[in-house]
Amino acid sequence: MRTFGVSILLLAAASACCFGQQWEFGGLGGAGFLSNVNVSSTYGSATTGFQTGLAAGAFVGQNLYPHISGEIHYEFLQSNLHIKSGSQEATFSGNAHTVHYDIILHTNKKGSRTQFFVAVGAGLKIFRGTGTEAAYQPLYQFGYMTKTQQLKPMASVGAGVRFTLANRFYLRTEFRDFITPFPTQVIAPAPGTKFGSILQDFVPMVALSYEF
Amino acid sequence: MRCNGFPILIALATLASATMPCDAAGFGTVAAIGGHAADIALDEARGVLYIANFTANRIDVLSTADNTVHTSINVSPQPGALALSPDAQYLLVAHFGYTTPPDSSENLLTLIHLTDNSRQTFITGDPPLGVAFFGGVPTGPGMALVVTTTGFFTLDPTNGVLSGLKTFANLAQTLPVVAPTFPGQILQTALTTSGDHMTIWGVAGAGTGNQVLYQFNARTGVLTPSVDVSSPALLNRVSVAYDGSYAMIGWAMFSSGALVARYPNVSSSTNVTGHAIDQKNNLIYAQIPDVTQPVGPPYTSTTTPAGSTPSASLPTLLLMDADNLTVRDRILIPEDMVGRAVLNTAATILYAVSDSGVMVLPVGSLNSYHRLASAQEDVLVQTTFCNRTSVAQTLTITDPGGGHTDFTITPSQKGVTLTPSSGTTPATVQVMIDPNVFQTKGTTVVSLALSSSSAINVPKAVRLLVNNPDQNQRGTVVDVPGVLSDILPDTARNRFYILRQDVNQLLVYDGATNQRIVALRTATTPTMMSFSNDQKYLLVTHNDSQLVTVYDLGTLLPVSSIVLPGGHYGRAVAQSNAETLVLARDESNGTGVIDTIDLTYRTSNKLATLGIYNNSISPTGVLASAPNGRTIMMAAPDGAVMLYSADANTFTIARKDFTSLSGAFAASSYDSYVVGNNVLNASAVPQGTMDSSLGITAGFAFTGQGGYQVEAAATSSAGVIQNLPSPLAGTVRPIPMSEAPILPTTTNAFTRTVAPMPSAGTVIAMTVSGFTVLSANYAAATAPPAINSVVSAADGSASVASGGLISVYGSLMSPVNIATSQIPLPTALGESCLTVNGTPIPLLFVSSGQINAQLPFNLAGNATMSIHTPAGISNNFNFTIQGTAPSIFMSGTAGPETGLATIVRFDNGQLVTPTNPIHYGDIVVIYLTGMGAISPAVDAGLAAPMSPLSFVTDTPTLTLGGSPLTLLYAGLVPGSISGLNQINATVPFGVTQGLSIPLVISQGGGSTTLYVRVVK
Repeated sequence: MRTFGVSILLLAAASACCFGQQWEFGGLGGAGFLSNVNVSSTYGSATTGFQTGLAAGAFVGQNLYPHISGEIHYEFLQSNLHIKSGSQEATFSGNAHTVHYDIILHTNKKGSRTQFFVAVGAGLKIFRGTGTEAAYQPLYQFGYMTKTQQLKPMASVGAGVRFTLANRFYLRTEFRDFITPFPTQVIAPAPGTKFGSILQDFVPMVALSYEF
Repeated sequence: MRCNGFPILIALATLASATMPCDAAGFGTVAAIGGHAADIALDEARGVLYIANFTANRIDVLSTADNTVHTSINVSPQPGALALSPDAQYLLVAHFGYTTPPDSSENLLTLIHLTDNSRQTFITGDPPLGVAFFGGVPTGPGMALVVTTTGFFTLDPTNGVLSGLKTFANLAQTLPVVAPTFPGQILQTALTTSGDHMTIWGVAGAGTGNQVLYQFNARTGVLTPSVDVSSPALLNRVSVAYDGSYAMIGWAMFSSGALVARYPNVSSSTNVTGHAIDQKNNLIYAQIPDVTQPVGPPYTSTTTPAGSTPSASLPTLLLMDADNLTVRDRILIPEDMVGRAVLNTAATILYAVSDSGVMVLPVGSLNSYHRLASAQEDVLVQTTFCNRTSVAQTLTITDPGGGHTDFTITPSQKGVTLTPSSGTTPATVQVMIDPNVFQTKGTTVVSLALSSSSAINVPKAVRLLVNNPDQNQRGTVVDVPGVLSDILPDTARNRFYILRQDVNQLLVYDGATNQRIVALRTATTPTMMSFSNDQKYLLVTHNDSQLVTVYDLGTLLPVSSIVLPGGHYGRAVAQSNAETLVLARDESNGTGVIDTIDLTYRTSNKLATLGIYNNSISPTGVLASAPNGRTIMMAAPDGAVMLYSADANTFTIARKDFTSLSGAFAASSYDSYVVGNNVLNASAVPQGTMDSSLGITAGFAFTGQGGYQVEAAATSSAGVIQNLPSPLAGTVRPIPMSEAPILPTTTNAFTRTVAPMPSAGTVIAMTVSGFTVLSANYAAATAPPAINSVVSAADGSASVASGGLISVYGSLMSPVNIATSQIPLPTALGESCLTVNGTPIPLLFVSSGQINAQLPFNLAGNATMSIHTPAGISNNFNFTIQGTAPSIFMSGTAGPETGLATIVRFDNGQLVTPTNPIHYGDIVVIYLTGMGAISPAVDAGLAAPMSPLSFVTDTPTLTLGGSPLTLLYAGLVPGSISGLNQINATVPFGVTQGLSIPLVISQGGGSTTLYVRVVK
């Protein structure tokens, strides 16, 4: 969590450099749909990863140029850990925190009633296992779901559309893909098994924002 | 200590302890009322108890705050019964005016309105005997049920309307009566409402032969009577479960129209009986006249009134289970209970009519009083051919409430040394016997009597069993406390079943390990067992219950019981291909009868006749089923024998060729039968006798056409077992057993004591101490045992250390598999003992191929081991005992995973595994053996003390991934045997993370390493 806090401070400092420009602040909510990775093992086949869960967060943006903005985002994602093999599934409570900075490319000028945009950026994601550990977990032959946390670098890409609701108030919908390496300490591969390496988190979100 | 509060606290604490009842002389107080109390009613809202003073013509009002009578209400003559309305607004008093000459004006009810003390009187004409309120839920006064000599009436207290409900003649004595006659004897009636006010149970004609019991349902208004015949007759005391589902009447408990339990040790009394039911805690508080009631000097209590009559039999309050009346404890009380007893709502205070008036017993505070108990019911001390010297066991004396209570323990005969023989609980008493005094080759039973000057209970004596067999005696004695009445093998499931009568249990044992699987509750005083015809169920009859309890042998759970016909109590049960028969004692005429039971419909019926014979036989006979289900033999102590044929579905044979019969009984699938020493043919005609030169035949079990016969000359002698190819084969290789089988007595003429277990390769004999396990080929000559290896019991490593637990592998080391949980560990187990350098060492488990044992602490260096069995002594096995050789037990399990290291995370108490990894800052607890010498020293085979802890003298070091762990404790596991070590250590932050990080324990130049997962 200390690394996570430092990251927020750095990104906040970077955005402060652009002081004096037009700012936008918003809150967002949605759901995270994480891809699973395949587990290859002598015990058979399985998949592992994180279950779908709610997402919520906030962002601060600034208009850098007529078609370009910059935004710093924080999201909290409720996503339980799981391993699934056939009809059997083992789960373990968990969540994740992300912080990232994105460049926003608008399709037309700010102030238009409808704007289309694409976003690309990078940041960090902390995966956390929060469940109750026990000497025996079902499907332990494939992996070990663990009460620990792991920080991973993250790429963020997405696109969306922003609507003007009223003067300075906006509604926007967007779709993001947060791409990280698989956190192999939170879900550790059992000896003799191998996990896929990349994890994608598809997050459709709706946001309300205010420009000042 | 500048704060003045500290001495004040001390003073307060001293004052508080001075007011605690812990050092009080006795339990309970007595309020003398100067008359005979006939009934009581508790008014918790006003904090008073109303007492009907029958002879002083008043209602005494006892304050529950100080348990003294402050006021009295003068009423009409002979207030015999009381009832308080559910809303506590009305107190109804029944006045008994059954006089000679008759004066109907004295037979009346007084209704006292308690809010203003106004009264109404109602002339009943006939003498009223009892009253009880019902209904009124949730806040109304309800109605009263009034019982008179001629019937039942209802009284509405709000309008005074008295209505007839049922005409019914009830008994009572007319006044005047001869002295001394107590109110209960005069009225002969009692009735009580359930706590929910919806059911009334009652008894009429109490103390006489035929008694009427009745149940009134307040919801339907239906009164259901039934007739009971009990001997001795039920006194008029009725206590009812809160929901009305069962009631205790006199000395018996009834439910759903059946007598489900009655107190086994009852004796006759005209006056003494009282009880109350605490349904929430499944408990009955009772005094029942008791043939086992303790005797002694009169009870002393500071509150007992001067001049109370000393009693040879000490009044005792029984604490009994509410389903089968198993006695949990006996509490000495100031005087006898002679009438109604009521519990307050919290079930903490019991008020009872007593000799002087009313007795108040704080039953909810029992743990605050001194009591005494032994943690063990039995102590079994065995000498062996390895160890003929004085041998010892330990016994733990406790106060069940956790207090410090003085005790004295005294053996009933010489040759037993108890150290200490007196002291204060909790205490561990060492029991040592002198083998020179106990020279019998069987088991001598010694009673160890417990007593205390301050305990309020009557502690049970401990049974000391001294078994002193010769080398030629066979069998491993397994201690089973209590009175055992039957044994039955279940070869299909490799189990055997034993009935324990004194605590009403069906004990289920695993035939492979001879360990108890479960103890199931039975009804009261179980007598005999039988399988159902499909072998899926086990049926149990009871001497003191009309129930035949039924157990599902698949789930080992009880299922619906079967109720025998009224007044029938099962003595024996047997099944055939046609009928399942019960031999029951019919209490209405004292004879025995044969009932049939239908397992499908859970019904029972008395057979009209036994074929051409009357259904009237000895009440103490037995039944034996032929394994093929074709016949059932009935044998009786008067010498009668009958045969039931499943093919004919009736009794086809009845003979009386003997003047008496007793002992073994069995039926074969080959048309032959055994009763005592007699062998009968298919027509029950005597064919000859079995060999009886070796003693009384106490058990016979057919295996094909032959069978196993067990006999003994006396209870304290060695038993004898023979495997006969035919019952008439004469003497065939009789082999002495370690102790005698349970022998027939005058009250239990027939004994079934043998259970062949072909699936386990053993024969089980029910014997004096419990049961004796013999190998099926006990008589075969065997080769001497051999030792192949000696390893650590923890991980199988070759290094073993002083005081460590070891596994010895070899062959022919024991004819049976036996484990023990006895502490101190015995130095002989089964028929084996193990010596190191000539000294027997403590054993935990023996089998043919493996023995687990503990090495002594005082041996190190090169050593020689040998094993002794009846077949001989093994060759010496040389090995080396290290000073220390730590090894972690690999006996943990998690889900399907076995063989896990016994390293436990302190914070969740679970084994460390990859899914439960070690985290930074965790405390880990490691269980291991072989850590060598300890201080303070504890001998091998003994339990490690809880305080002070025993630390290892050679302190170990621990590293995890190369980082040192902080050692918190290294020593013995408190309370466990002294071969088991424990290490507690803290994991520092910054230890290397990973799936397989080495955990190294180093001690005395040796080390052991395990790999564990570590995360942040």
